[in-house]
Amino acid sequence: MNTQFGSKANPIAFDHESPEHADNWVAEFRDMREKCPVGWTEHHGGFWVATSYAAVVDMARDTGSFSSHKSFDPQTGTGSGGITIPFTPIPRGLPVESDPPEWNALRGFINRRFAPKAVEAFRDDARLYATALLNRVIETGEMDLVNDFTGPVPAMVTMKMMGLPLSEWREFADPLHAMVFTPKEAPEYASVVAGVEWIFRRCAEEFVRYKDQPEEDNLLSFFAHQQVDGRKLSLDEVLSLANNIIIGGVDTTTALTTHALAYLADHPEAKARLMADPSLIPFAREEFLRFFTPIHCLARNVTQDTAINGQDLEQGDRVMLAWAAANRDPEIFEKPDEVQFDRSSNRHLAFGSGIHRCIGSSFARMMFEEMIAQMFARIPEWEVDRAASQRYRSVGTINGWESMPIHFAPGSRVACSLEI
Amino acid sequence: MKVGVDRRRCVGQGMCVLYAPQAFVLSDEDGCAEPRFEDVPTDQEDAVRRAFDACPEQAIVVIG
Ligand code: HEM
Ligand code: SF4
Repeated sequence: MNTQFGSKANPIAFDHESPEHADNWVAEFRDMREKCPVGWTEHHGGFWVATSYAAVVDMARDTGSFSSHKSFDPQTGTGSGGITIPFTPIPRGLPVESDPPEWNALRGFINRRFAPKAVEAFRDDARLYATALLNRVIETGEMDLVNDFTGPVPAMVTMKMMGLPLSEWREFADPLHAMVFTPKEAPEYASVVAGVEWIFRRCAEEFVRYKDQPEEDNLLSFFAHQQVDGRKLSLDEVLSLANNIIIGGVDTTTALTTHALAYLADHPEAKARLMADPSLIPFAREEFLRFFTPIHCLARNVTQDTAINGQDLEQGDRVMLAWAAANRDPEIFEKPDEVQFDRSSNRHLAFGSGIHRCIGSSFARMMFEEMIAQMFARIPEWEVDRAASQRYRSVGTINGWESMPIHFAPGSRVACSLEI
Repeated sequence: MKVGVDRRRCVGQGMCVLYAPQAFVLSDEDGCAEPRFEDVPTDQEDAVRRAFDACPEQAIVVIG
């Protein structure tokens, strides 16, 4: 029997959902990477955690041994697998919780809608929403960065992309954010869940409505009219696609942009550099992606016995790929705990690796650019009220901020075709 | 120096386009990278090497 450190007989103490991890994840991941880059923890029913860059990439690429499939029975509310630990009792996200060949058909079906050219078509929209949202608050000299700006912009772009009415943006943005941080025991949890259910009910209603109309240029209408492998999508599949696109794209982009704006407030010299030379912004963005890694870790199912790093992974085990730990691996990144905009190369894994690698990265990158540009142009100086800011109590799934009040010199509204 | 992209490995990370915008373009169909040339002009060699290093999928092939 394997008794080495980190084996099932000699497990590590790791819980990505714990407050200790939220406070101390950099050091904890460093320690794990050094002592056992693949290790077993007993939390949440037991699972492996991979923390070295090499182990994470190997597993992400080997979809034969490491499956993303999730099963869920809505009658009983039970199921297994998928990319979250603990198991989330909702229908699976697609394409993210599928394996080839099902994955190939679905990803091939939607790829074109997320390619760089398709994304550029939304840049003016992102700019418009960012302009209108700052108009709402700029005269007051204060806002909550998350709730007034970095949350709503991705939410509104996503609504536009899906074909949902923009007037519902607040009802859309708030539950998507609250869902990530509201504890299941909290009295408001039920209303947050109801808010999220409402969003997917709206997706279903609009999907059905689009079926009876000529095809329009949005995703729900595309799903209603186009065929995959010679057949129409079922409503369940449409909701699974919507789930993956909406939940995968909104709060992640929010987290990235919030971290970046907080970092820049604390590092005026870095901010001055980006303002003086905006061609550096994309490199800074990739470095923020590496450094903060908005999605800390995601899970896989082990489908056959596999030995990795001297550990014995068994069929039926669950394993967590810690993108955030891989992104600080000194084997790959020099001085990994420093933010350096001019790394000679930056092969971070913030968008994952292998076939499931984020389809929405061009969207995320574009929305980030538009939000940063809008801040730089209109609110060049801002101060973060750190005492009043609340980081997510658990960063194990999304490393982001519940709220972040900021202060700035009041500015003026600008002409904008959208009033919100 | 010659450059190519292994389409079986490339998943459209787009890091290559960031480091060598004149050497690669992302497809409008699936977002995957295509090199704009096979023979790398001398003034593009550094950029192509950085793209090679930055590709998380090791999908870029460089010869020479
Ligand atoms: C900074 C923002 C974002 C981050 C950090 C991020 C991160 C990730 C990661 C790590 C994966 C890999 C999942 C896995 O391996 O199991 C992924 C997949 C995915 N992301 Fe993103 N994402 C972001 C933005 C977006 C946006 C804006 C969209 C939609 C417009 C989106 C849609 C998706 C989808 C649909 C998948 C599944 C792809 C597949 O299974 O083939 N993401 N994302
Ligand atoms: S960086 Fe690599 S994986 Fe990404 S698009 Fe370029 S060649 Fe493809």
